[in-house]
Amino acid sequence: MNKIKALLGKDLLVEFRNTFSISSVLLYVCASIYVIYASFINIQPQVWNVLFWIVFLFISVNALIRTFNQEQGSRTLYYYQLAAPVHVLIAKLVYNTIMLFVLGLLSYFFFAIVAGNPVRNFGLFILCIAMGSIGFASVFTFVAAIGAKTGNGQVLTAILGFPCVLPILLVNLKLSANALALIQDTAYTTDIVILVSIEVILVAVSIILFPYLWRE
Amino acid sequence: MINQSWFKVITIVLIVYVFTAGMLRPLNPGILEIDQQSAVAGSVWTANVHTYNTHLSTAESKAWLKLEDNSFIPAKSFIAETDEKAILTFNIPSTLTGSKKVEGATLIISNDQDGSFIRPSSVVIRSDSAQSTNTQNWSTSEISGLKQAHVKGFPFRLILEETIRNIFYHVPLWFGMVMLYLFAVFFAIRFLFKQKEEDILKSYSLNSVGFLFGILGLLTGSVWAKNTWGTYWTGDIKLNMTAIAMLIYAAYFILWRSFKDDIVRNRIGAVYSIFAMCTLIPLIFVIPRLYDSLHPGNGGNPALGGEDLDNTMRTVFYPAVIGFTLLGLWLSNLLYRIKKIDSHLNG
Repeated sequence: MNKIKALLGKDLLVEFRNTFSISSVLLYVCASIYVIYASFINIQPQVWNVLFWIVFLFISVNALIRTFNQEQGSRTLYYYQLAAPVHVLIAKLVYNTIMLFVLGLLSYFFFAIVAGNPVRNFGLFILCIAMGSIGFASVFTFVAAIGAKTGNGQVLTAILGFPCVLPILLVNLKLSANALALIQDTAYTTDIVILVSIEVILVAVSIILFPYLWRE
Repeated sequence: MINQSWFKVITIVLIVYVFTAGMLRPLNPGILEIDQQSAVAGSVWTANVHTYNTHLSTAESKAWLKLEDNSFIPAKSFIAETDEKAILTFNIPSTLTGSKKVEGATLIISNDQDGSFIRPSSVVIRSDSAQSTNTQNWSTSEISGLKQAHVKGFPFRLILEETIRNIFYHVPLWFGMVMLYLFAVFFAIRFLFKQKEEDILKSYSLNSVGFLFGILGLLTGSVWAKNTWGTYWTGDIKLNMTAIAMLIYAAYFILWRSFKDDIVRNRIGAVYSIFAMCTLIPLIFVIPRLYDSLHPGNGGNPALGGEDLDNTMRTVFYPAVIGFTLLGLWLSNLLYRIKKIDSHLNG
């Protein structure tokens, strides 16, 4: 637990020492949402829902694609001696989930400002963002770890990640359509259960498989 | 095991049997088209009936109209124009049984050569404007003179018709794909434990052939959809999920080719192969069950079973599932041997 905390602190520190990465992601959020607003002007709730999740997906890819950049080359050996691979992964997962959740709330905030706020069930929508953050983080963290092992990691991360993340995205789209009152589905708890079980499987598999990726 | 000759013999026999029996065995006779689908109670109903796989002109045929409560009337006249076309005339009684105003009646045709075949709701009878010009009544006894067919073929289903045979190729290809992917995951896991290069080459070959089966499954499904649903591609949930599954495995092959170092490639290929299978499970087995689908077994459509997969079809369907899986294993074994020679030559 202490190891994970220390690694988490390290990630935060690295992020704020070199604010290039986080500020570029923030600018990406603002720019993409403004581009969407400028091209659509009047956004219907149906379109709002889809656009929000697509923007969130691309933001996630951009934010997480560099997850394992620092752990490449000679520095890997250093980490290898200091921490167990599982701790490294869990720290990254927690850090990425929190970052995505914050980014998700931010993009929701910007969306609400420029394109209106059609959300009816606020709690459910926030839950959607949280679940989406966990799901996207678990897929893209693992895939970024794979990508980091190849020569051209960034392209590969996107190719590998998008199809894997689609089931989560689709269930999330349906759930948030519920939150926007686009569809009236009283049985949305089954969707939540499915989302949770998919994410549990993904996190568990990442934790089991990560040691094999980590060792050289 | 795969290199043994009996394995190859079994595979070839099964595949040849599936293609010959699946393609050559005829369909049961059925009623394709009825040009007049409504009738007024108390009047004479005449219709041109178009049947399929029948011998109406050579065998003496009889026809009946049957209501839901099993009461029936025989045809007044049955004129066979050709083997598959006939003009039927019925004297419809002036009242329906019970107190119904509108009821669908089932047309039954029977002869010595083709046996009996039916079409539910072939004619809708209305009894609102009662013209009591005839004295015919619905008989409530059993229909006598129904014949049994000499040869039992595959079931005749409206819309599906001859394409029902595709179930022997489309469905077993998907079964085979899942089996091959599962074997691939097994070898990937064994590779991570034992670090033998053979295992990961086997896993890669199985994934390749599984992917090929997936493409063939999509193609056979697409052709089938064009003939039954009207388009090559629909927004059906199973199609979407399959498309995603194909993308996941396509990414696997790109990943495999992106490494310069074989040792790193083997390990990461194995890891991704397991990860891909874990994302595939919700895609194929969980999410499609949540949504309505045009496929059998979803959204109130009957699953494998009932009349869509009767015993005559099972005799081809199960051999097809086993045959295609064995064929996949054989193909992947060949691919594995090529890969092994490759790695010996290069390493």
